Parts: sequence; C-alpha cells; structure tokens
Amino acid sequence: MKSRGKVWAWFFIILGVLYFFLPLLATFIFSLKAKLGVLSFQSYINVFNDPKFIRSFTASLLWASLTIIVGIVLFVPTAFWVRLKVPKARTAVEFITLIPFVVPAIVYVFGLVRTYSHPPLLIVNSPLLLVSAYTILAMPYLYRAVDIGLRSIDVRTLTEAAQSLGAGWFTILFRIILPNIRVAILNGAFLAFAIVMGEYILAQYLAKPAFAPYMAVLIQNRAYEPAALAVLSFALTWACMGIITLVGRGSGQAQVGGGH
Amino acid sequence: MTHLSLNNISKQFANNMVVKEFNLEVEKGEFVSFLGPSGCGKTTTLRMIAGFEVPSTGKVTLEGEDITNKAPNQRNVGMVFQAYALFPNMTVAQNIGFGLKIRRENKEAIKERVAEMLTLIHLEQKGDSYPYQLSGGQQQRVALARALAIHPQVLLLDEPLSALDAKIRVSLRAEIRAIQRKLGITAIYVTHDQEEALSISDRIVVMYDGKIEQVGSPFEIYNFPTTTFVAGFVGTLNTTTAEVVDPATHLLRIDGVQLQAAEGLDDKQKGDKVTIAIRPERLNFIAQEKKANIMDCSVENITFLGSVVRIQVLVGSNRFYMDTFNNPFLALPNIGDKDQVTCSREAVLVLRQ
Amino acid sequence: MARPARPKFSWAWLGVMPFFLFTFLFLLYPSSTIVIRSFQDSETGKFTLQNILALFKSPYIIGAYWISIKISLITSLGGALFGFLLAYSAIRGNMPRFIRVSLLTFCGVASNFAGVPLAFAFIALLSPTGLLIGWMKLFGFNPYFHGFTLYTFWGLSLVYMYFQFPLMVLIIAPAIDGLRREWQEASENLGASSTQYWRHVAFPILLPSLMGTTILLFGNAFGAFATAQALTGGQINLVTIVIGSELRGDVLGNQGVGYALALGMVVIMALAIAGYTILQRRTERWLR
Repeated sequence: MKSRGKVWAWFFIILGVLYFFLPLLATFIFSLKAKLGVLSFQSYINVFNDPKFIRSFTASLLWASLTIIVGIVLFVPTAFWVRLKVPKARTAVEFITLIPFVVPAIVYVFGLVRTYSHPPLLIVNSPLLLVSAYTILAMPYLYRAVDIGLRSIDVRTLTEAAQSLGAGWFTILFRIILPNIRVAILNGAFLAFAIVMGEYILAQYLAKPAFAPYMAVLIQNRAYEPAALAVLSFALTWACMGIITLVGRGSGQAQVGGGH
Repeated sequence: MTHLSLNNISKQFANNMVVKEFNLEVEKGEFVSFLGPSGCGKTTTLRMIAGFEVPSTGKVTLEGEDITNKAPNQRNVGMVFQAYALFPNMTVAQNIGFGLKIRRENKEAIKERVAEMLTLIHLEQKGDSYPYQLSGGQQQRVALARALAIHPQVLLLDEPLSALDAKIRVSLRAEIRAIQRKLGITAIYVTHDQEEALSISDRIVVMYDGKIEQVGSPFEIYNFPTTTFVAGFVGTLNTTTAEVVDPATHLLRIDGVQLQAAEGLDDKQKGDKVTIAIRPERLNFIAQEKKANIMDCSVENITFLGSVVRIQVLVGSNRFYMDTFNNPFLALPNIGDKDQVTCSREAVLVLRQ
Repeated sequence: MARPARPKFSWAWLGVMPFFLFTFLFLLYPSSTIVIRSFQDSETGKFTLQNILALFKSPYIIGAYWISIKISLITSLGGALFGFLLAYSAIRGNMPRFIRVSLLTFCGVASNFAGVPLAFAFIALLSPTGLLIGWMKLFGFNPYFHGFTLYTFWGLSLVYMYFQFPLMVLIIAPAIDGLRREWQEASENLGASSTQYWRHVAFPILLPSLMGTTILLFGNAFGAFATAQALTGGQINLVTIVIGSELRGDVLGNQGVGYALALGMVVIMALAIAGYTILQRRTERWLR
C-alpha cells in the first residue's frame, strides 16, 4: 500500500509542477520572440528604454518605500504601546488590522474615491491618499509581522531594564526594541513591498502612475513587451519572497498574500 | 513456555547500529523494563516488538508464533505511547472502543468492554469527554485502557510517564503495575528513570549504546551490578581504581589503604588494576558499627537531603559519598574532622569493565 | 472605611491615537460611507431599503452575483481539493525533504502572483497563439476549433486556480503537519488499516481545517478583480467588475445601488472570514 501511495504522491506533485511552471515558461519564451525568427532579449531592451516604464516602475518603487516607512513609523510604536501600556486596546486594534481582509481592494477604492472626491475632502488625486491607502492595504501583514516580532522578545522586561538605566521612550523604541525585531519587520516590509509593487486596483482608480496599470495598458498595444514585464514582475516577487525566507527563518509562519 | 522471545535482534539505520545482539526471553505475566539513557536503543527494540520497525536481523516470537515480519496492525499487542496519542476527534469511550470497532465487535459488546475499562482506570464519569478536556495523567490512563481493551497478548509502554509531573508519575506507575498484576498480562516498559524501573519491574534490562548491559531483578541490578555503566546508572556510586594485592584472599589496595572484597577477583593477578565500587549507604562511621574494612578519612562536606544525610569524605585521594539515615539524636562530625569509615567485604563490588 | 478608587483617565491611550486617527481617516470612514450610503436614497438622502432591494430585483446584478458565486465556488472547491492533495503528497508522501521546502516556498510566491502579470502569463500559454496551443497544434489538435477559449468563465477559473492552490497549500500544510505520527501508529496498533485510519481519524481531524480554508478560498476568489479585468477586459460580469465599472461611470443608474452592491460584497466576505475563523478555532481546540 505504501508504494502505491507514493506513486500517487509523485503524480500530484508532477501535475502541480507542470501547472505552475508552464505559464511561466510560456511567458518567458514569448518574451524572447520580439525579433522575428530569433530568440532575443529585444523586448526587455524595449521595455527598459521606454520612458513610461521607467516612470511607472520608479513611481511604484516610491509608493512601496513610502508605504513601508509610514507603516513602520505608525505600526511599531502602536504595537509596542498596545502591548506595554494599553492592553485593553488590543482587541480593537487587532480587529481593525483585520478589516482589510474583509473589504476587497475594489470595494475599498470605491469607498475611498466616493468619500474623497468631494470638497472639502478633495484629496482623491493626491499621493497622500495613495500611500495611505497602500499602508492600509499592507496593514494586516505589516502589523502582524511587527506584533509577532514583539511577541518573541520580552518587551516588558527589556523596557523596564532600559528605564532603570535611565532611557527615555525614544531611546527605548529606536535603540532597543527596533533592533531586536529587525527580522520580523524586514519580513513584513518585503511582503508589503511585493504587494505594493504588484498592486493594480488602487493605482488605477486613484489615477497615479504605477507598474501594474502601465503593464495593463501595454497589453492592449504591444505583444512581447508585456511578456517581458510579466517575467520581471515574477522575478521581483520571487526575489522578495526569497529574501523573506532567508531573512525570516524561524520567525514564525509564512504570511500569505491573496488573489487580486 | 516463554511467552515472548527476542532472538539475536539487531537494527541498523544508515551507518548506525542502533540495536546490537539483543536476546531476551519473557515469561507470561512478567513485567520487564528496558532501562537506559536516550539513544541506547530501548525504544527501537520496543517498536520492533510492536511492528513499527523491522529488525535487520533476528526473530521476534510471541506465544510460539514468529511475528517478526507481521504488519503492526496484525499483531495483538497493545501500545501506550509517550505522547498518549489519543484521537482528538473521539470521546474517551470512542477512543477505548476503537480497536474493538475495527475488529467489528457488536455494539453491545463494545459498550460493555468500554465500561469495564473505565472502571479499571477509575474514570467512569469521563466516557463522553474529549481528550483536550482531560489532564495529562487522565489522558495516559485512557491510553492504557485503549491498549488493554483489545485483550492484547503483550502490553508495550514507551516512556508513558515522562510527560507528567513527578507526583503523578509516582502514583500512576503504581496504578499501572497494579492493573498489570490484576490482569496477569505480560508487559514491556521502556524508561530512562531508574527509580521507576526499580520500583515496578519483575526484571530490568539495562541497555547502553544498543547493547544489553545486564538483565536481572531490581535487587540484583542495584546490589550486584556487573558493569561500570550499570553501577553508575542505577543509584549513586563511589568508584575508584584499585590494585590487586592478593587475588586468592581478594585483597586490594587503594592509595595505600588495604581493602577486602568478597568476590570478583578470580581471573585477576597480583598487580592488576580493577575498578571497584561501593554504594554510599554501605559506608558508615566506625563509631556506629565496625566492619571488615576500615579506612581513614577526613570529612569534606555534609549535605542534608531530608531523610538522608550525605557526607562527603576524602579517603587518601579518593572522594567518597556516604549516606546515613537522618537521626536528629545522632552526632555528626564537623567539616574538617578526621575520622574512620568502614564497610563490609560484600560492599566492595568489583566491576567488569 | 476605604474610599472606592476613582477610575483614572489614563494618558496612555494617547499613544494609540495616531493609529486610530489614521485608520479612521483611511479605512473606517470610507468603509462606513459605503454602509451608510447603501441605506440612503441617492437623491434625497433619506433612509431607505430600496437600494438593497434593488439588488435582488435587477437581473443584471443577480447575474453578476451568480457568476461571482459560481466562479468562487468552483475555484474554492477545486483549489481546496488539488491544493490538499498536493500538500499531502509533499508532506506525507515519503518525499525527499527538498520537495516540501520547494513547494512551500513556491506557493508563497505564487499566492502573491496574481492580477495583471498572471493574466498575461496565461495569455502567453493558452491564447490562440499561446505556447501550449502551439504544442497541441503540432499534434494536429487545436482546442480553439473545438470551442475552447481562454477568455471565458472556464478560462478565468483556470487562471484563478493559480493563486488558489498555493493559498490552500500554505494554510493546510500546518494542519497536515499537525497530524501526529503517533495517531497513525496507535490506530495501526489497534488493528486499523490505512484506509480505516483515514476514515476514522485523519479525515475527521482535518475536516474543520479543510472546510475553513475552502471558505477562505471562496472569499479570496470572490474579491478578486485585477486578474479578471486584465484577462477579459471586463467582459465577464463579476460583482467586482461591475463595481469597477460603476466607479468609472455610473452604469447602474442609481448611486445608491452601487453602494449596496459594494456592501453586499463586504457582507459575503465577512461571512467567509467568520466561517473560516470559527472552524480554525475548533481545530485548535481539538489539537491543544
């Protein structure tokens, strides 16, 4: 019986491997066909030479970096404070961090646009809104990563030890707590990075330059360049996840993204 | 007739011989413990009896039948696991009745047997509870009942008490022994706790590095250990190297002091070095009782352990521990005093290396 | 006689104010707008249930919900089944260690690889000029001549599976790990065969996890937008696509109904998450 089971196991795994790799393979091969009759990286060259690509890619990089910064500045002190000083706020805070799971991105942007496209709150076209919205989108992952990091160190004792040695809150947060949860934060940051880089809905409907909407437009007009972009996009996601695995070994379970 | 016998059993994993030349005959109704440190092969041997490992060489025979290659679900042995392994999706009653359900007994018979088992383990009220609602000790009793419900020919227990608190361990091991006696079932019990093995076994198999070091009753193992390992593993021990002076009269010398042993020097010659051992409770100060061997000593340390007082003395360059029963009216020496300790000839054990 | 202590106002709550302020502005307030305006008449602003009722009266909207539910159901059940088989094979199938690690790493990546690039990857594979179609054509078989197209409901389902399987694998892997080896040994010891072990022990233990994750997968598919938009250009009328169109220009003719539509989505997602959480708690309780 055991050997028969093993045959089935291999069957499913091979099937899975095929299903996962064929689309990637197809995309990669397709991306090499820009020059007629020859396999070349022409489409990649075209992409890198396109000013619109540079603009949208760097824009996405900017959004992702700002999101991570805002997220860390907002969530680390909050998680620390909740754990240490206001444990009663814990349920409310955790509930809030889970709301983005329940509100799909399209519904969320619907609410955002409708709320913020009328004066006096006419900020619907400002980058402020986009970065804030991305921060909210990344919140379940970022906040949870920070929280897991805090859980693994004894926050109370460390703080009390620091206080007894004369440290103020700023010192405690940035020179003691932050360095000790570095790994967890990196974990969350890379996940947030991957999410924002690949995000389409918010950027599109809040009318800001970004990588994914650029790619969507390109699909309408070009054949091979979107393939190159898809390959790049996958490589980028893979790099982020790879770094997370390397950096975050042993720091809790993997966090999952979801469908978009 | 021997009930269970293991002939020349060995087990190899990759490049590692985990069990070597294991031979044992167990009588029906006997309670045998496999005692040893982690990695000595005791659990692997047990699992070979259960069928979860197949021996690399050798034969396992149960009631005359060769079961060496039988699948684990075809043998009629009951196993109690260290981590209880109760099925979390079933109630206590369902867990106990599982083996009978697989054997397609009818519902009435199962119900009766389950009730019988619940009474045996004193958990009559817990039949409809789930494992997560029970304490560790209770879960282990249920695991025991589950293994016994199928009327196994042999009961196998793999360190069943190591996950429990000390107090529960002591009461539960007595309970396990009582149940085993009552049912007259053959039992093999794996443990690394020598006190456990000593207190409940008919015989103990002391193992080390895959091999059997000694087999004997608790009394024999403790008082007449044959190897250094057994002597050191079971109880506390004073060991030192001695030189043979006269093998015929069993005369030895340690550090200029002459000692008389009772036996064990038959194959030795004058000048040979042997390892000797003396149990701490076999030594006493000369003021209490004078015995064959007398040694000068100085008192280094006195530790009060409750019912026992442990005194550390220096005999020549050897540090010995002495245990005496605590007696508030007995005068104990002071640290630094010079005194004499004494022990009988039989107390000096000559160890096979 | 001791005085009862006065409840102290703790200044500590100030420390969490930035968080509450931020999430209020950018999450709670916009979300509550949706809820409130669902119950408001779009012209008069008065309280009404008409918007909600309109959802059930419009065949267009009912059709959209039906398609969304259909695709979510199919991809959640299919994703759960295949994801489970994949996870179990890699973890319990006596595989070399690297298979398990590779699978989990890959699933971590793949579950994030959705939206526009994923749509394109499948276009590159299964469009009329796609790689796989090309291979099939070499054997003289063109699925497109037999009625297959990528840009339909079934094509989209196939694409959705790409992030559904991995999500299932990632979430169910710890549950499969939690199936302790001793349970199988104990059941074997008591006389059970492999099948009996599965039927009486392993499957009942995994069931809450399986059900819960399937529900989560349902929610995941239900809320997906970018993939469908990129693949079919908005031609398949999922609820999310309709909301997207509604954002661009009022296609429903009544703003209030748009809000109600969004509210309906949130309700369904909330039920899915709730169902998942309850079932996960049940599993954790058993396996304590």
